Amino acid sequence: MRLNKEWTIKGIAMAVTGTILVLAGIAFAQHRNFKEEVVLGPGVTTVRTLGDYFAPLKGGPNDANVFILDSGEPGGTMLVLGASHPEEPATSLTAHLLVENATVEQGKLIVVIHSNPSASTVTRPGDAYPRFFHIETDWGIKKFRMGDRWANPLDSWPDPETYVHFPSGQLLAYMDVRNLNRTWPGRSNGSLAEQTCYAFMRLIEAEGVDIVIDLHEAELEYPIIGTIVAHQKALRIAAMASMTLTAEEFRIGMEISPLALHGLSHREIGDHSNAPALLAETPQPFLDRVRGITDESLLLTGKDEFVMKAGEFGLLYWPIDESGWPIDARVGRHCSTVLKIAEFWTLFNRSKPLVVTSVPRYADVVANGTGYFFQDPATASASKVVYE
Amino acid sequence: MYIHAGIVLGVIVLVFALARFLKLSTELAMLGAALAGLIVHGLVVPSRELVGAFAWFEVPRHIVDGAFTYFDVVLIFLTATLFMNLLKDAGGVAYIVRGIVRRFHRHRALALLFLTVVMLIPGALTGSGTVTVLVVGALVGTVLTYMGVSEVRVTAIVFMCAAMSAAAPPINLWAMMAAAGSNMPYVGFFLPLGVLSVLGALFSMFYLGWRGTPIDLEQIMTELPKPPRGMRWWKVVVPFVVLFGLIAAGRVWPWAMPVLGLPLMFMIAAAIVVLTNLGQLKLIKVISDTVEQLLPLVGVMVVVGILVQVMALSGARGLISLSIVTMPLVAIFATLFIILPVSEGLIQYAVAPLIGVPLILLFNMKGFNPIIALAGMAAMWPVGDMLPPTSVVGRATVMILGFKGRYYSGFAKTCLVPAAFVLLLGSLFVVFSSRLGFLVGG
Amino acid sequence: MAVMVLYYVITALFTVILVRNFIKTRDVQKGILYLAVLMPFVLRLFRLK
Ligand SMILES: [Zn+2]
Repeated sequence: MRLNKEWTIKGIAMAVTGTILVLAGIAFAQHRNFKEEVVLGPGVTTVRTLGDYFAPLKGGPNDANVFILDSGEPGGTMLVLGASHPEEPATSLTAHLLVENATVEQGKLIVVIHSNPSASTVTRPGDAYPRFFHIETDWGIKKFRMGDRWANPLDSWPDPETYVHFPSGQLLAYMDVRNLNRTWPGRSNGSLAEQTCYAFMRLIEAEGVDIVIDLHEAELEYPIIGTIVAHQKALRIAAMASMTLTAEEFRIGMEISPLALHGLSHREIGDHSNAPALLAETPQPFLDRVRGITDESLLLTGKDEFVMKAGEFGLLYWPIDESGWPIDARVGRHCSTVLKIAEFWTLFNRSKPLVVTSVPRYADVVANGTGYFFQDPATASASKVVYE
Repeated sequence: MYIHAGIVLGVIVLVFALARFLKLSTELAMLGAALAGLIVHGLVVPSRELVGAFAWFEVPRHIVDGAFTYFDVVLIFLTATLFMNLLKDAGGVAYIVRGIVRRFHRHRALALLFLTVVMLIPGALTGSGTVTVLVVGALVGTVLTYMGVSEVRVTAIVFMCAAMSAAAPPINLWAMMAAAGSNMPYVGFFLPLGVLSVLGALFSMFYLGWRGTPIDLEQIMTELPKPPRGMRWWKVVVPFVVLFGLIAAGRVWPWAMPVLGLPLMFMIAAAIVVLTNLGQLKLIKVISDTVEQLLPLVGVMVVVGILVQVMALSGARGLISLSIVTMPLVAIFATLFIILPVSEGLIQYAVAPLIGVPLILLFNMKGFNPIIALAGMAAMWPVGDMLPPTSVVGRATVMILGFKGRYYSGFAKTCLVPAAFVLLLGSLFVVFSSRLGFLVGG
Repeated sequence: MAVMVLYYVITALFTVILVRNFIKTRDVQKGILYLAVLMPFVLRLFRLK
């Protein structure tokens, strides 16, 4: 009798656990296998992958698409990195928007939408991130993966007990061995993220990249926000871009990349190649620790009462009010920042001009919405659709 | 938002209390509270802009996502304990204890000093107080018992030294996670963390362990369990040498060594114990017992992960964070010694990003030295590992030493003085952080 | 890569033992907790998370 009762409860518990596992498993698989559709814009001349620059990545989780927009005219070459941290969606949206819209009249633009694709296939345990987010367009809803800050443990397991950065020897928290913005300049036999950075460094050499822009978003509690962080070799460009953007479009600061902070793109790319890197940050209240309900709404609108309250107490480094920080404002900021940096690159390097057109600026994106600038993959020819 | 997060938080607390009242274990009560919180969140969440109603399909996913939060740590616990239990089964632990007693029986101070060092090493290298308890806790505890220290004091010493070993450099997980979250490099922490953890451990060891009876070697040697006949010193030394060798090699040649990770290192050490004692171990039974022994500990890590996920989802986590960082600075300083341990007891390492990062950014903004302040806090958190609902290291200590006394009025009370010492020291580091900046140079 | 395979082996080992202990335990509360602990192990083994 006693045994029967025991097994009845155990059986029910097994059934419940099994159901949870099956449903959760389906949800995880849907997320991991979902492909975003990218319609190649008029400017795209070639689509390569990271594995073309570093063979061991070929066909693997981080064999990221590399979109090359070559004007055919001699000039400067700029690399734009989206979603170094896939939990910062305005960055991949901006890169995506560049691929679908930009035309290049002089020089070459190289865009990566997901710089650490593995990290975009996993939700963060314990942080309740949504799996997907949706952008309204003129032709319907476009769906995107929401990712994490670190590469998927399914692709990069185990972590060391502490992460020793190469080549500086600086100690970092163990999970940062999967954080693409802590593994620059990378190493060929390192972790997935280290190999990915290594591949990017080879890309920078092979394509003769002159300047790199690494797009990011940050929480408002974090001092490096609403700003351009620049390697010392690119200070002039960063300073001019931030000054003119602030005068013409929106407030944006400028900081010098600290010499002692290793593994970051704005430090290491410039130290280990001819191309200095600039890192652009937009405000994303979704990342704040004091945030309230965590869902897609917060992700897209950037409206949060708790974050606002922290602002009233002077705890934030960036302002926020009832209108929040909508995704369109954040994407618009990144678009204008990229364009402005290209303009000043050309101004300071007359012999290597880079002229990018057909990209909306801040005001256009805010007025029309990000979705306005995405093309309908259903009506595009199949050869023009690439999966991310 | 305040009301919603408040409701969910209230439901969590209420269901937990009710479940405890109905004689459910702490772990199951927390699980019930987390699930109730999740469902109530889905039921009462206001309609949200662009998204609308709550998607119930996400419920199982949130549960499992939460269960994964501490998966790495769970694997470390399981493998570390398996290694030590195999060694114990082979008679290695008895062998070491006899060796230490024979060597140090005349010099009490020297013996205590040696035991402090033994306690500090595993946690300093791995960042986990639980690993310290599981790897050397039983050993040190046995030696202390034979030095005439009472059972409850032995338990308190092992816990406090384990807590300090977790705080000890080079690896302090709280400091690392909070530094990573506020984009500070994990540099300059060695000396401040070293001063705090060594002082804390020495104080605990000598304050609680100084009084005792001198050792009567003859008598103890007859009382101590005898290692099996096949036991040789190298059978004990080799697994440890390999284990610490692998950890050290990863630090000395970080880019030449393949990344093994702690669980695999413990499994390699365990495999060596098995191979050097072939035919003498009941392998399956030891693994099975290890898993059963660790179930409360591992279970609580899984359940807390689910709880953290639900609290993040519903904004309850934000509400707690917000209420702490919006307190006046003086009030924060005055209550740090409560806030930090209590929050550690609630959510374990998740405190570092949740409370540590906002506090560090706040201190930085107000002109304090963030490295010293964080070091101070990072030495205070581990003290909370004996507090409910998780009490991870405290429970591990009680479990591994087979302490039969009362948890709160016995064990926890005995920890009070050394714990207060550490908390006071840590608070002073935070408050006077700007004047202690010279420690960062190290 | 070889190391990653070993981690799946370790995971599998503990999964088997967890299941074994779940079946053997007479304590229903322990049984439920075993199932909760099993969740991440199973989904990792199936490479779903
Ligand atoms: Zn970022």
